[in-house]
Amino acid sequence: MSGKAFLVDTTKCSGCRSCQVACKQWNNLPGEKTTFFAGPEYTNPAELSAITFNHVKFFPIDRSYPDKPLWTIMHKKCYHCEQANCLRACPVEAISKQNGWVVIDQSKCIGCGACENECIYKVPHVLGEDLKKYGSEQPLEKDKSYKCHACTVNKRKMPACAFHCPTGALTYGDRGMLLKKAKARVIQVSADYPHVMLYGEDQFGGLGVLTILKDLPEKYGLPLRPKPIDIKKAEAIRDTYHLLALFTFGLPSLKRVAYKISRSMVG
Amino acid sequence: MTNHWIDIKNADVIFIIGSNAAENHPISFRWVLKAMEDRGAKLIVIDPRYTKSASLASLYAPIRPGTDIAFLNGIISYALENSRIQKEYVLEYTNASYLVSPDFAFNDGLFSGYDPGKRNYGDRKTWAYQADANKLPKRDKSLKDPNCVYQLMKKHYGRYTPEKVEAITGCPKNVFIKVADLFTSTCKPDQVATIMYAMGITQHTVGTQNVRALAILQLLMGNMGLAGGGINALRGESNVQGSTDHGLLFHIIPGYLPAPSAKDHPTLEAYNKTTPQTADPMSINWWSNRTKYLVSMLKAWFGDAATTKNDFCYNWLPKFGKPSPFILLFEDMLKGVIKGAFYMGTNPVVGSPNANRAAQAMEKLDWLVAADLWETDSSIFWKRPGANPKAIKTEVFLLPAAASMEKEGSISNSGRWAQWRYKAVNPPGKAKSDLDIIDLVFKEVRSLYNKEGGKLPDPILKANWSYIPEDGHEASPHLVAKEINGYTWQTKDQMGTFMDLKDDGSTACGNWIYCGSYPGPGKNLMARRGADDAPNNIGMFPEWAWCWPLNRRIIYNRAAVNRMGEPWAPDRWVVKWTGGTWKGDIVDGGPKFGPDQKNPFIMNNEGVGRLFAVGKALTDGPFTEHYEPMETPTRNIMNSQKVNPASVIINEVAGQFGNVGQYPYVATSYRVVEHWQAGAMTRNLTWLTELVPDMFCEISPTLAAAKGIKNGDRVAIYNARGRIKAYALVTERVQPLKVNGRMVELVGMIWHFGPGCAATGDACNQLTPSIGDANTMIPEFKAFLVDIRKEA
Repeated sequence: MSGKAFLVDTTKCSGCRSCQVACKQWNNLPGEKTTFFAGPEYTNPAELSAITFNHVKFFPIDRSYPDKPLWTIMHKKCYHCEQANCLRACPVEAISKQNGWVVIDQSKCIGCGACENECIYKVPHVLGEDLKKYGSEQPLEKDKSYKCHACTVNKRKMPACAFHCPTGALTYGDRGMLLKKAKARVIQVSADYPHVMLYGEDQFGGLGVLTILKDLPEKYGLPLRPKPIDIKKAEAIRDTYHLLALFTFGLPSLKRVAYKISRSMVG
Repeated sequence: MTNHWIDIKNADVIFIIGSNAAENHPISFRWVLKAMEDRGAKLIVIDPRYTKSASLASLYAPIRPGTDIAFLNGIISYALENSRIQKEYVLEYTNASYLVSPDFAFNDGLFSGYDPGKRNYGDRKTWAYQADANKLPKRDKSLKDPNCVYQLMKKHYGRYTPEKVEAITGCPKNVFIKVADLFTSTCKPDQVATIMYAMGITQHTVGTQNVRALAILQLLMGNMGLAGGGINALRGESNVQGSTDHGLLFHIIPGYLPAPSAKDHPTLEAYNKTTPQTADPMSINWWSNRTKYLVSMLKAWFGDAATTKNDFCYNWLPKFGKPSPFILLFEDMLKGVIKGAFYMGTNPVVGSPNANRAAQAMEKLDWLVAADLWETDSSIFWKRPGANPKAIKTEVFLLPAAASMEKEGSISNSGRWAQWRYKAVNPPGKAKSDLDIIDLVFKEVRSLYNKEGGKLPDPILKANWSYIPEDGHEASPHLVAKEINGYTWQTKDQMGTFMDLKDDGSTACGNWIYCGSYPGPGKNLMARRGADDAPNNIGMFPEWAWCWPLNRRIIYNRAAVNRMGEPWAPDRWVVKWTGGTWKGDIVDGGPKFGPDQKNPFIMNNEGVGRLFAVGKALTDGPFTEHYEPMETPTRNIMNSQKVNPASVIINEVAGQFGNVGQYPYVATSYRVVEHWQAGAMTRNLTWLTELVPDMFCEISPTLAAAKGIKNGDRVAIYNARGRIKAYALVTERVQPLKVNGRMVELVGMIWHFGPGCAATGDACNQLTPSIGDANTMIPEFKAFLVDIRKEA
């Protein structure tokens, strides 16, 4: 894997959520309606959605290190996998690689939810309502899948989230350089964080978002050795789906059922 | 800030107390983290809660709200007991060796001169140095004289043992010692600590003394004047520094000149009699120039009318009859003394202490003018929940104001950098800039005086007021900036330095500390964007914008070198004296004196840093002493005074103060990054209300369990001043602290919400007390008592 990437350094994140707000502004996305914090600590909303392309996850404080309580605050968005499940699963090739980034073309998207089902990081989401006054290039439409496109759609020199990070916790640049930087940083902070590690170098063939974690990845719901969906299997699911799709009458809700059935049929 | 934001990167130790900078000053953490990454700097965070700042700290210490002095005095004691001070600096640049009057005394929490009837130190004569025949302070450089400041300190601060610190603050002794040890590691001449603080330090009945304790520490460590050092107040709004510089507070007029009092300074002569004096040839005593600054300001304000014969219209300068801090203004409003109010950039229904009382006071107004971007909680105070609009006679005017991007002008950041901003878009509709609003109102008032006359019309009719450029029809911020900078009266030439200001009416200057910011036509130095660093390469960027005074980036920088002029920290030198000239930053006190000729703390009349605060600078004591907050969960174990004995207690609200029997939990207030101050600018923005949608409090799992409260429950929080509802965030980040043998729980609250704007919520300040610091009357927002229960 080469080209550009993001580096999320949780040992530098102060949780200001500039990334989350900047993304909404630059991509013209609506705020979500919340009443209280939907996730742990200040996390809001709890997960990514079709109108929230990145968010900041605040994990509960860990007091098991007596001298230094551990509070992890982590920017999360699409990891832009090299071997992306969503891309492999999409039955209509609406998802493609653009300069190394995994991008959904909503004009091709049929709202079947394959991407939503297959992403182990729970990133893409099919929008449940029309929100036509929002969206940067194209209005947001019901039954289309949305997620972070690394600002390739709204054509910025640097993606909004990284541009607005005040502390250097989220940076953007050449992946090789970032890897080097990240590895040096891991060594530098290892005395402060005994289990510090870099996530994303190899997972799914290499992620476009590298993350320096203060503790073991499992703690953050990030599997150390995830298995990408098998290409043959993905092909079989797609073929089954195309057969079943004949009976969906173009209705996205039935398409989603059809996708789920195809998946269970292939097993 | 004595230093500036970028300079934080030069620190070896970063000490954050009374501030959650990661949350409220997010950009500061760029420099904090840079110091940690590039220099291996250590970050100490002291806070009642484990905050976002704490999450990035090398060392975190919990502390009960309102006990900062006990903690800081403990570090002072640790430094003195273990000889962890920068001795040469302390000897040369502080008053450690100065002998104090033998009549000075301290007994059971009271310094000499206290008047219990009046609750003040009316007589501060004993807070003085012993003088020799030449009127110079007597000194003992061996530091052995029992009356020298150093020995008095050992006696006073020696009482603050780690055990006492633990009992008062709740911070475990071993953690306290780690903090004390790490901080005092910067007593080495080439090791530097910076102190970052904010409202958690100032908003207490002992707020000024809290800052004093920080200043004493930095003097003992030899950290003042150095790169990566200093006392750094993180200002809560982008231009608070500018508004303070220009006389926002009740006790000062522009440029930190004392506000004249009707009783003490009826004439210019009487005012000038209070000009600081010195007989010490080593002292620059900069305030000896004060008259020049006042006269030049009067000349700028009153122009041709200001002459030598009429004392430059000193009579026209408003003088205070009594101090008028925020709390007392609202008390006067409640009494009907104040009949009308202008609100510009303020929202007291949310931001005022004892906010229910403030809102009731507003009901007594005949009229209220609010200049705002849109309706705020305060401009619709008459229809807030519980109010009866029919019973409120106040006539309210809403003037549409321009937002920051819709107007041009300067803003001064915490680091004293005045930075020019441009207008990005025109304001919508009929909205106008604040400057334009003030200009139009002034002219209307003047025309009414012209037509109808009135009491004392001259200051209005003869004011030198002309801010409309020849080719324009709106008031120009450039013309205001030029007046602030100053000019020669005859030739109208812009001036380059306040050293040229005169007390004879030949110069006019709106604010002496800004003299040099706009030194010629088209030479607006605040608009500079030069991105090259100075040769000392410490991040001063002297050609980026302009900073007062005289573009000096680090003040008290004479203290950055020893008496030979050699930098204490050569790897990040600020100034140095070589071959009879100064190099580096603009040196304090003028370049002609070498380091061995003058003392570095030029704003004190003895020229050295005051470990012992002599004279009348402070109302409540020359040393820092622990007193409990007005509302406290425990007794004071250091002395038998409960609260700061010099704090002003307003009789009318005394009945509202609660005790621990009624309200068992310590409460404190703070902000989150997603909302801005009283919230009027952010609670209408869905991108932000998505993140923090409503009022919430933070409590520990133990308090939650005791009260049957679960995360996300609605709770009621109450005391004698009010009752509010909030969501409960139950978090391990809040922990009870053991104080004087008893566990004390905390209820932390944000204060951004109110009844107006799109996202509404109850205002924390309905619960905060009407009492303030003994010197400044800043309200005690940060430590009070409440009870909490789950809402059915």
